[in-house]
Amino acid sequence: MNTNTKILPLEFEYYEPENLDEALELLSRFKERARIIAGGTDLLVKMKRELLKPEVLISLSRISNLKYIDEGEGSLRIGAGTPLSEIENNPTVERSYSALFEAVRSMAAPAIRNMGTIGGNLANASPACDTAPPLLVYGSSLKIKSKGNERVVPLEEFFLGPGITVLSPEELIAEIQISQSEPPKGSAFLKLGRVSADIAKINVAVYLKREGKRCSCCRIAFGSVAPTPLRIYQAEKMAEGEIFEEQVIKKVALECQKQIKPIDDVRSSKDYRVWVSAILAEEALKAAWLRSEGSL
Amino acid sequence: MATYSDCLKGEGTFMFNVVSKKTPRLDAEAKVKGLEKFASDIALPGMLYAVVLRSPYPHAEILRIDTSEAEAMGAVCLTPDDVPDVLYNERGVSIPAKTYRDRRVLPRKARHYGEAIAAVAAESEELAWKALKALKVEYKVLPPVLDPIKAIEPESAQLYERVFFGEEEIAIKNNIACEREITVGDADKAIASSDFVVEEEYELPRVYHFQLETKSAVCNPEPDGSLTIWCTTQSIHNVRILIGSIFGIPLSKVNVKKIPVGGSFGSSIQMNSIIPICAALALKAHRPVKLVSSREEDMYDHCKYPSRIRLRVGVNKDMSIQGVEAEVLVDIGAHQIQAYPLLGSMAGWLVSLYKWKNIKYRSRAIYTNKVPACAMQGYGNPQMNFAVESHVDLICEKCGFDPIEFRLKNHVGIGDEFWGQGPTVRSIIKSCGLEESLKTGSELINWKERGHPINKTGRYRRGIGLARGFHTSSAGAPGPAEVIDYSGATVKVNEDGSVDVLTAVMDLGGGTWDAIAKIVAEVLGLPLEKVSLSPVDTRTTVYDVCTHASRGVFAGGGAAYKAAQEVKRKILEVSSVFLQEHPENLELVFDPKRNDAVIRPKGVPFKSMTLGEVARNAMVTGLGSIAATVSFRQKTCPPSFVTNFVEVEVDTFTGIVKLLRAVCIADCGTPINPDGVKGQLIGSLARYGGYALCEETEYSEQGRLKCEGFITDNKIFTTEEMPFLNNIVVHFTNTYEPTGPLGAKGIGEAAGNSVASAIANAVYNAIGIRFTRLPITPEKVLEALRGKEA
Amino acid sequence: MRDKLINLKINGKKYQITVKSNTLLLNLLRELGYTDPKYGCGIGECGACSVLLDGQLTLSCLTLAISCDNKEVITAAGLSEKDQLHPLAQSLIEHAAIQCGFCTPGMIIAGKSLLDKNPNPTEEDVRQYLRGNLCRCTGYAPIVEAVLDQARKSKS
Repeated sequence: MNTNTKILPLEFEYYEPENLDEALELLSRFKERARIIAGGTDLLVKMKRELLKPEVLISLSRISNLKYIDEGEGSLRIGAGTPLSEIENNPTVERSYSALFEAVRSMAAPAIRNMGTIGGNLANASPACDTAPPLLVYGSSLKIKSKGNERVVPLEEFFLGPGITVLSPEELIAEIQISQSEPPKGSAFLKLGRVSADIAKINVAVYLKREGKRCSCCRIAFGSVAPTPLRIYQAEKMAEGEIFEEQVIKKVALECQKQIKPIDDVRSSKDYRVWVSAILAEEALKAAWLRSEGSL
Repeated sequence: MATYSDCLKGEGTFMFNVVSKKTPRLDAEAKVKGLEKFASDIALPGMLYAVVLRSPYPHAEILRIDTSEAEAMGAVCLTPDDVPDVLYNERGVSIPAKTYRDRRVLPRKARHYGEAIAAVAAESEELAWKALKALKVEYKVLPPVLDPIKAIEPESAQLYERVFFGEEEIAIKNNIACEREITVGDADKAIASSDFVVEEEYELPRVYHFQLETKSAVCNPEPDGSLTIWCTTQSIHNVRILIGSIFGIPLSKVNVKKIPVGGSFGSSIQMNSIIPICAALALKAHRPVKLVSSREEDMYDHCKYPSRIRLRVGVNKDMSIQGVEAEVLVDIGAHQIQAYPLLGSMAGWLVSLYKWKNIKYRSRAIYTNKVPACAMQGYGNPQMNFAVESHVDLICEKCGFDPIEFRLKNHVGIGDEFWGQGPTVRSIIKSCGLEESLKTGSELINWKERGHPINKTGRYRRGIGLARGFHTSSAGAPGPAEVIDYSGATVKVNEDGSVDVLTAVMDLGGGTWDAIAKIVAEVLGLPLEKVSLSPVDTRTTVYDVCTHASRGVFAGGGAAYKAAQEVKRKILEVSSVFLQEHPENLELVFDPKRNDAVIRPKGVPFKSMTLGEVARNAMVTGLGSIAATVSFRQKTCPPSFVTNFVEVEVDTFTGIVKLLRAVCIADCGTPINPDGVKGQLIGSLARYGGYALCEETEYSEQGRLKCEGFITDNKIFTTEEMPFLNNIVVHFTNTYEPTGPLGAKGIGEAAGNSVASAIANAVYNAIGIRFTRLPITPEKVLEALRGKEA
Repeated sequence: MRDKLINLKINGKKYQITVKSNTLLLNLLRELGYTDPKYGCGIGECGACSVLLDGQLTLSCLTLAISCDNKEVITAAGLSEKDQLHPLAQSLIEHAAIQCGFCTPGMIIAGKSLLDKNPNPTEEDVRQYLRGNLCRCTGYAPIVEAVLDQARKSKS
């Protein structure tokens, strides 16, 4: 066996830039030899396990203008370096972004949430990433920066595979941009793990917009059921424009079950994931609908 | 209903001053301040740090190890050529003639992925790791044997050709490490003529101990040629004897320090494989060496015995059992740590649960290329208990018996013979709280209202389950047996009347040391604060076999009790000089007014001396120190009976089983530390809740742990899997064990043996599905529910 | 840089010390004699290495020492004075919430962190907050009870 988690055996150069430009400068200098370290809760584990061997670490810890939660009219901009616990403790997130709140709440334990950042969680690109499904259903975008460049990428286009994203070696996530339409709307997140503090066997987020008895907009995203977090468009379409009642919800949930492509792994089985996906989808749809003040 | 906080016992215990009273742990302050020094906290000047090279193959010959590059980096290297050519067995509990030896400090053939094959030590752990990576090893990769059923087929690869059994070299055929058969009466005939025959097979998983402190050792070669060792162990004397015999060092020159252990649960009954590696490096380097296992290494070092148990039981309409046939297969992994005594003990756990009348027991232990299995809280008992207590419910369901009535009618109890550690360790049961446990427990959980699964509907279904078990207290027996069991203690009175206790018994966290101090304080009429446990080592203590078999209080405490009695006799003798009374007319009692031990003529309270006054006078007059050392063997192995009632909730949509409520009822005789007993019972709920519902170390086809040794994918219970405080009830029965120190029996293992069985029985009561394989994961529950629907 | 001179305050004591870029805070603390944070898993899953870093509950096994310049670390040993135990430590003793003691320092730090943020926790709050601190001995119940009791006591 190849690891020794008591120490960090790799040697590397460490930089702690004071501002974003300096960080981008360093990234453009070192490119694939470098890695950004935010909370370190995923990166250092990967380094201890020798899955990653960066020669340079660029820390974001001193860059204060990557840590913010700005509220606008129906929108939220979160600095990529914002610790998960700050998102969890933000009253607006708790009140108006239920799925994101519930996702962050479900993650690991308080110490990890103090250390880990939302940008880091996304950039880690785990198929089981808990913040991705809620951000996907909110239709979020990422502001991605490199030296002299900036682009905005919809989160749906961000993940390419396990641990793989559209980020080039010179880029980093600077901001998560979330917009929601006016109420009535609702969202919810659900997750199953082996114990309470766990990586998801499967997770799901739902966002709904309500117009009277009808669902005018529906977004559903799953984690741990494919190489990347996944929107289930076919199921969403079946909900949109419909009078939201038990039968419709069941139909939508069953469509989700058809669309996902999970595998067997150490955390659960393909069969189990397929089976419970419909249960979770149904519950999340109902919870989001009730939050939009719809009745069932 | 009683709550978590209430766990008082009846009248019997109020005759004590210290024992059975709630007292803060002696080591509590050091532990909350974080000042307690565990093996991994020991640092010596000039110390080297060691790391271990572990096999990347489950089965491979080590052809050559090139250490030149590592040595050029300044590292001290250890290869199979550097260690004594000695085959040892790491557990010094069985007598040598009944001990299998198959292990070398560093083997010439790796028999499981992660087995230690070389080691290096250097000035820092980082440098050692770098040097380790520079070792070049040539392997001859062999096909691995992972499935115990396939392992016994003749065409399978063989882990061993020959091993030692005692001094005899024996051949190993078809990877069968050892076998045991036990027959009482004619089970085949008895079962054939029974009214009902119930048959089922049960399977118990390979789980990891997950003690919080990983295996660690620090070895220091002293100027006088001796070797001092600080290590995670349940027996300092076993480490001393093994290190002495492997390296040919006189035992007076091996000194193992008694230090706290960060949990163990059986994982350090044996001398850990890293200890002789650390010792060999220290001897080679002539420097102190420290070796701390990483968590992933630790997970590749030990696990619980996975078992398959097939039971066939014949029962008559009057609820009487006629006979049992049991077949046991244990996949022991790559080494035989204690498989032979395990098979005997599992027979004992079976035999001692119910009056089977006729017994046919066949068992086999199979070598596979997996992590070696060893004892883990219960030593085969939780496995056997799960099979039998599931089977009893199955019998009751099939034959229409009441599960409590059936247990009351057939259980082994007072006056019956109990096998404490296999067929050679037997004694007659003199105390048993099982009847009280079943009665009280069924009231506390509201057993009568549990309902039948057929009538339960809806998404969330609740069920109540019961299982009862026991464990031995020590492996004591009237005569010599296959296992060694004796302890010892020194008690000495200091010149101010305070008392030092020297014992080699280890405290694995359960509070054994407190119990020993309390027993001595009780006997000598002292307040607890006047009794101290000395920091000792193998040089300053007489032998104790091991803190295992729930013997810490019963055997270790028994020895301390004996030594304290001897000291008491001497105190009275010395006092007689000063008090001018015949010793037989004197008594040693606790005087609550003075908060001290006083010696006085019986019935003459005003003419008294404190123990301090006596000790000082003895010093001044030259009568000498009052002290005693005893080596003591318990002649019995009384079982402690524990009964678990639990309530679970099954989410039939997701298959998730939640442990909602638990009633734990313990008969441990006098609870010397009531908090300690409670701690064992509730701790066991978490450990065996995990055993029942989520824990298992699975292997890939390549012979690697699927979790790769990372606890991310080896889940144990967290705070949130436990029932809420008001839903945990602990109750002690009113029993007194006449052969135990102040009426006490062991509790450590008994506390856990029936928990998983009760959970499985509760799941059945909720959804009508009997799970015969643990853990009962949501995946299995859902599959079974869907199968039932279809 | 591959090493750096950092200023670090540990349990009230100031240090100026050169650390390598790959030195973990846990190992630095232990080398300096603060052995109460323990190595339990090295990957942030067990909580035995918990410390307060500038008042925040932090896992020292996944923290680079080099990132702690001008920060303050408090370990369990730093909570209790020589002859005055931290009230939560006292509560753990009273509730027999300590067995082997290996998880205890991390548990106390996590418990203190909870009570700092939420002096009035429910049982559910305590269970959620402590779920990252694994204990194999106690079954958690006495620990949860000790934290709740301490909250009750400091209220009155």
